[in-house]
Amino acid sequence: MAIDVAAMKIKMADSTSAVVRRNRPGTKAEEWSSWSDETYEEMDSTLAVQQYIQQAIRKDFSNVEEILTPPDGVDEGVWKYEHLRQFCMELNGICVKLQNECNPEQCTQMTATEQWIFLCAAHKTPKECPAIDYTRHTLDGAACLLNSNKYFPSRVCIKESSVNKLGSVCRRVYRIFSHAYFHHRALFDEYENETCLCKRFTVFVTKYNLMSKDNLIVPILEDSNTIDGESEA
Amino acid sequence: MLEEGPGSHSGGQLGPVSGAIGMMTKQQGDDSSPRPQYSMPGILHFLQTEWARFEMERSQWEVERAELQARIAFLKGERKGQENLKQDLVRRIKMLEFALKQERAKYHKLKYGTDLNQEDLKPPILDKKDGAEEPVDGEVLPSNSNTWRQGRHLLRQYLQEIGYTDTIIDVRSARVRSLLGLQSHVAESEADAAQSALVQMNGDISGKRAPDQGKASTGKKVPASLVDSALLDSEASVLATLDFLGPDGVDDEEENLSDEEDGLNIDEEAEMKLVKKMPKVKNVDGIGIDDDAETEEALAEFDFLVAESEDGAGEARSHGDGPDWEKKDSDEWSVDQQLIAKLKDQYKKERKGKKSRPNRSTLQAMLANLGDDDDTPSSSSSSNQAGAASGSPTRNSSTENSMSEVDESGVQGSITFSSSESKRNVMGVSGPDDEAIEAALGLGGLGELADLTVSNEADPLTYDISAPKEVFRKTWNAKYTLRSHFDGVRSLAFHPVEPVLITASEDHTLKLWNLQKTVPAKKAASLDVEPVYTFRAHIGPVLCLAVSASGEQCYSGGIDSTIRCWNIPNSNIDPYDSFDSGVLSDTLVAHTDAVCGLAVHNSKPQLLSCSSDGTVRLWSPGTKTPLLNSFTPENEKGVPSSVDFVTCDPSQMVASYTSSNAYIFDLETGKQITALESNFTSEGKNQINCVVNHPTLPVSIAAYEDRHIRFFDNSTGKMIHSMVAHLEAVTSLAVDPNGLYLLSGSHDCSIRLWNLDSKTCVQEITAHRKKFDESIHAVAFHPSKPYIASAGADALAKVFV
Repeated sequence: MAIDVAAMKIKMADSTSAVVRRNRPGTKAEEWSSWSDETYEEMDSTLAVQQYIQQAIRKDFSNVEEILTPPDGVDEGVWKYEHLRQFCMELNGICVKLQNECNPEQCTQMTATEQWIFLCAAHKTPKECPAIDYTRHTLDGAACLLNSNKYFPSRVCIKESSVNKLGSVCRRVYRIFSHAYFHHRALFDEYENETCLCKRFTVFVTKYNLMSKDNLIVPILEDSNTIDGESEA
Repeated sequence: MLEEGPGSHSGGQLGPVSGAIGMMTKQQGDDSSPRPQYSMPGILHFLQTEWARFEMERSQWEVERAELQARIAFLKGERKGQENLKQDLVRRIKMLEFALKQERAKYHKLKYGTDLNQEDLKPPILDKKDGAEEPVDGEVLPSNSNTWRQGRHLLRQYLQEIGYTDTIIDVRSARVRSLLGLQSHVAESEADAAQSALVQMNGDISGKRAPDQGKASTGKKVPASLVDSALLDSEASVLATLDFLGPDGVDDEEENLSDEEDGLNIDEEAEMKLVKKMPKVKNVDGIGIDDDAETEEALAEFDFLVAESEDGAGEARSHGDGPDWEKKDSDEWSVDQQLIAKLKDQYKKERKGKKSRPNRSTLQAMLANLGDDDDTPSSSSSSNQAGAASGSPTRNSSTENSMSEVDESGVQGSITFSSSESKRNVMGVSGPDDEAIEAALGLGGLGELADLTVSNEADPLTYDISAPKEVFRKTWNAKYTLRSHFDGVRSLAFHPVEPVLITASEDHTLKLWNLQKTVPAKKAASLDVEPVYTFRAHIGPVLCLAVSASGEQCYSGGIDSTIRCWNIPNSNIDPYDSFDSGVLSDTLVAHTDAVCGLAVHNSKPQLLSCSSDGTVRLWSPGTKTPLLNSFTPENEKGVPSSVDFVTCDPSQMVASYTSSNAYIFDLETGKQITALESNFTSEGKNQINCVVNHPTLPVSIAAYEDRHIRFFDNSTGKMIHSMVAHLEAVTSLAVDPNGLYLLSGSHDCSIRLWNLDSKTCVQEITAHRKKFDESIHAVAFHPSKPYIASAGADALAKVFV
């Protein structure tokens, strides 16, 4: 046994010298993806941008600025695209929470403030879906669009015409934040504490000018002091 | 005849009848009792009666002889009828093959823009065209070509329906040609007639063409229906001999090609016109004419076929009448008497060969003939064939080669396969006839085909061969790409019956996919599928997935340490339907860390889960206290990485650990029964990533981080076989429902298909890209349909057919 353990240690030492970044079956939740960081230059896979973004989020999800700072040599279209993928993916979390709380009887329409009723664009003719359906449909629709072979056949380079699609996805997806903020505030705050997702999203769309400022109705960026801003609103 | 008579009848008849001895006894009998005087009239009377008796006897024999002769004649006639039918079928096959070759040439032309010796294919038609061009008016032609296209489409559909693919036709026709070749050595006239059938037919057409063209579309509808009837005819006859092929059993590259063609039909038709315009700029009508010429030709072919088949049928019927045969024979076949004799010999030989398990020499002789025949007649006697053959010479020759290899070994393979021997082979390292089995099962496609052409009757043997490997003998090609996940796909599982699968991803969701709902793709070889439903409830990545045996529920385990039980929505659900909270039927909570493996029992409503918290748990989902049992082996430092029920013994399960150990537990008692001996004293960190059980044998198969796949005997725990299977860690395994093939996925980006008998790699497919150092997370076989699937870290899942 002793030899065994020794051998194992040697092996471990070997494997740390050349880090193998894998989440093998049996990996504990807290050790998930807990490997040492890799610089963007070292990432040789075609999914390097996604890897880089996820690595930055894992490192510190609240450090929005760093997460949104692209490494050198990244195509901006790809950078925006991969971030939007990541947003839609993480929005699943808020959707799961909403599924438990936002029932179609109470939130019969997708609203944020009283000003607008949002129609669900997932249907042939836009429809007044209940908020939870709107949320699900929008995320499903975004998943299909962002994975569409027609518009985004590659994750390495993206056509300019397809980059234009990102804006509309952002606008629709943002309504999930606004609905949660205005109608399920506790849920929103809890989620925002866990992920800083809305803040990151707001900074993202502002930075890359993907949405007009008027549409950003969740007051989360007031002088970057988010907690104050939220409590005031 | 008379000499024969007594000999053959003495046993049956009494003494007095059978001549001299009988007389003696009679005399003795006469002598003994009243002792009468011999008188002249007495003797004379005796002789007279005897003579009369002999005469009667003789006439009886005569009658009998006549009857037997009639019978022989009848049988001969019947045989000849069969022969003619066969001839007829052969011709029909040749027609079909010719049509297909043209089709292929055309396809080739469309695809690559170059002519595939098209001119050689149909010289008479080209001549014809010039003559026909004038009376034609352009407007009618498109509709003609439409009928032709429809007809062609129909033809293709029928062929696909009966699984009668190009390849088979090729092989079969090659075989058929060899038969014809044999005849041509014997009786040249017959073979020549058959070989030149096409030419002659084309000649006929040229005669008919002009009036037909005049009649335009109305004239052509009749042939179209004839085509149909011909197709139906041939379908029936083909089905009779080939029904074991099954409707979708055959999936060769050839067929895939035509599949794609089908899929792209609309596109293609649009393109077709463009392409054709290019070489014939100066004559726009030429487009239509070109098509029309082909229409004509093809229709004429089928005309010919119909006529032939009617003849054939008529003949067959008349032979059925029996005693009348002799007359007809003299009428119809007197010329062929010699031929019949020879055919008869040949036929007998063939039968013999078939019955007594073709020995190598006869087979080789046949194959040699086949080889000869493919070359000679095609180049010399029939210019049509030459064109067609030269279009694809390599394929033909390769077909021959593999036929020769496989033909015999295929037969052997099937025998050994059905015996218990093969079981030992699966377990053991490798047996002597592994190669034979490999031939029969692995590349056995042609083996079966070859066999199929050898035996015209439904031979039980062919069933033996075809049944087990029907689905798996081909190469797999990517057909569907499942893109909709945002992050790596960790697991996937097929519906037990439907072409439906579910994927579980690190993007926190599971998605339901219906392979019949594809997104029309542009030109890509693979089809895109969009999910019909997204399962959301997990917080964080979903790691594992299992679908119940009924296909109504599925279970998923996530990094959030929960197991979710889902009612699978209808696969035809509107993807944007309203939210139904009933889809999530239950949540199983007991694990305290990521759930990394799940398995469902194939007959009981039981679920196994393993978790990074170190436990393996048995559940009965849907009951009040779903947790039935927990399993923890003694002296185990690792955590479980994978679990599976033991298929051979439903009361057992196998669990693998990150320590590279694996154990078999009793489900009832929770006790450890066997430890699978891995013997890694020096290997150290070499975890098992996946363990599966063979569906029919007491064998566990484990995938290791050190690139190995190892096989264990469940009862002894001993390792049976170990092999380096990939260039990187092996992550996932799946055994096909028949237990003949193993599918493995690895972080080296490839999935590999293994023959479990020989433990050799049958096919490798590079399927996914890397994200970090991960590539492929899961592979799966469809439990009842010929699909395999892989799930990758690149957020894609792929389905291969």
